[in-house]
Amino acid sequence: MTVMRALSVSEITLNAGAHVSRIRRWIALLALALLAAGARADAPVTPGLTFNGFGTLGLVHSSEDQADFVASTLKPSGAGHTRSWSGHVDSVIGAQLTATLTPRLSAVVQVVAEQNYDNSYRPLVEWANVRYQVTPGFDVRIGRIVLPAFMVSDYRKVGYINPWVRPPLELYSLIPVESSDGVDARYRVTVGEITHTFLGIYGRTETRIPGDSKVQAKGAGMITYTAELGATTLRAAYSRADLTVEAFNPLFDAFRQFGPEGIAIADRYDLDDKRITFIALGGMYDPGKWFVRGEWGQSDTNSVLGKATAWYVSGGYRLGDFTPYVTYARRKVASNTADPGLTVAALPPFLAGPAAGLNAALNATLGSAPAQQTLSLGGRWDFASNAALKLQFDHTRHDAGSAGLLSNQQPGFRTGGKVNVFSATIDFVF
Amino acid sequence: MKRLPVMVRNGLALIGLLMSLGAGAQAKDVVAVVSIESPVTTLSRNQTVDIFLGRSKRFPDGSQAVPIDQAEGSVARDVFYANFAGMTAAQVKTHWSKIIFTGRGLPPRALPSGKEVIRLVADNPNAIGYVEPDVVDDTVRVLVVR
Repeated sequence: MTVMRALSVSEITLNAGAHVSRIRRWIALLALALLAAGARADAPVTPGLTFNGFGTLGLVHSSEDQADFVASTLKPSGAGHTRSWSGHVDSVIGAQLTATLTPRLSAVVQVVAEQNYDNSYRPLVEWANVRYQVTPGFDVRIGRIVLPAFMVSDYRKVGYINPWVRPPLELYSLIPVESSDGVDARYRVTVGEITHTFLGIYGRTETRIPGDSKVQAKGAGMITYTAELGATTLRAAYSRADLTVEAFNPLFDAFRQFGPEGIAIADRYDLDDKRITFIALGGMYDPGKWFVRGEWGQSDTNSVLGKATAWYVSGGYRLGDFTPYVTYARRKVASNTADPGLTVAALPPFLAGPAAGLNAALNATLGSAPAQQTLSLGGRWDFASNAALKLQFDHTRHDAGSAGLLSNQQPGFRTGGKVNVFSATIDFVF
Repeated sequence: MKRLPVMVRNGLALIGLLMSLGAGAQAKDVVAVVSIESPVTTLSRNQTVDIFLGRSKRFPDGSQAVPIDQAEGSVARDVFYANFAGMTAAQVKTHWSKIIFTGRGLPPRALPSGKEVIRLVADNPNAIGYVEPDVVDDTVRVLVVR
């Protein structure tokens, strides 16, 4: 039950939970690629290995002590209930090795350590792929690739790149962590003044989530289109996958015991190889002195996790090394949050009790769909050429009946409330 | 344990930043240079910036372009990106961090002085660099930037 309550649309995650065996396989693949490339080194550029790294040291305080503020629902605990001030919410360290083999062939491995679903900081492989530049405008990659669901998804963990402490949760939680094991292809062409970029990705993934459970996405495909003209960027993305969330199987297996009515409910709400779709639109204008950006997204899970829409607008002004910014973000439920379930009155007394229990479980999950809005005020100070200090204040209001994106709700927690969150981070790259 | 070295390093970086602010006060100019053997004589400001930011890998005539940067924190570098691209050092760093950490490339090779840029550019018809005007010699051609 707790597992199911903890699940929300936001757990439709396409991240790879990196099993050790899989990491080994990728490393072996990369090693082979390195050897293969070394054998036919026709490179006029010097082949070589380059090391880069990034990190964030963060501290977060939440005014709500009956639940945890988390930056991703994959995180088992956060700020508020578990700790008044938590260093786990945003802290992360990443290291990357780039192998330039020939001017056309390169390989990259990026390992990231942050709070995992099981509270460990065991490093996971975020990226591991081999890239071949077919023409100056066209390249293909094979391996582990982070899905660019939103504008900053594929570098969301590198705080230094982003103006905020973290990308707006309302939108980015629709698909919080996204990497896929497969292939991608990108084509870039400049026509007149406009640069068009087309990207297609296909792969599969498996993610571990709190409560010792798994989320699997098969046939995960995504296409994105980006247009750039001077300081303006516009972007659209569409993706789909066949999603399985094992934690829900027992509930719907139980529904199926109740004949045609139960089977119909299970077919409608279960998450066993269910087709999910996702659309995102985004725009940004950044002439240098200031910026404004906004994104809108919708995920439809065709299941108990429902359909959700979210958007944000954000703007900032650069005063030398100091950039104050403001963001408003909204997330809404676009599907039913309750269902009559099984007709209990029509059942014999010995089945009425279990049926009512199943109805309650189904409605608890439907009703826990996150819906909230946040106004954020913050500032970024670029105090060194490779490091920035950020302070951010978030005021969040949960919709009536919703716990928003908070996790670990305690018995004393009240839905439909307000919460203030204060965050401080130092982001750096090296 | 991790925190202390980072803070120490950031402290040092801050001192470095303050020093570079002092040095940068004497506003300098830089010029874009190619080898005297390169056929390229002129580029637009945008074409130059696109080559240095990795957006374009070729000169307008189709030949390969290999940009050569100056070291991070150098006055020449800061002046180049400010004058040609309207970007601060932090914005350039952000631009490259995006490309590096999404596995899409690496920044240009950076050399510690204008003299070394001249030496490398002179020997490589595909290279393009930027230097302080007073280090230019007859082995390189100053590009007319439109």
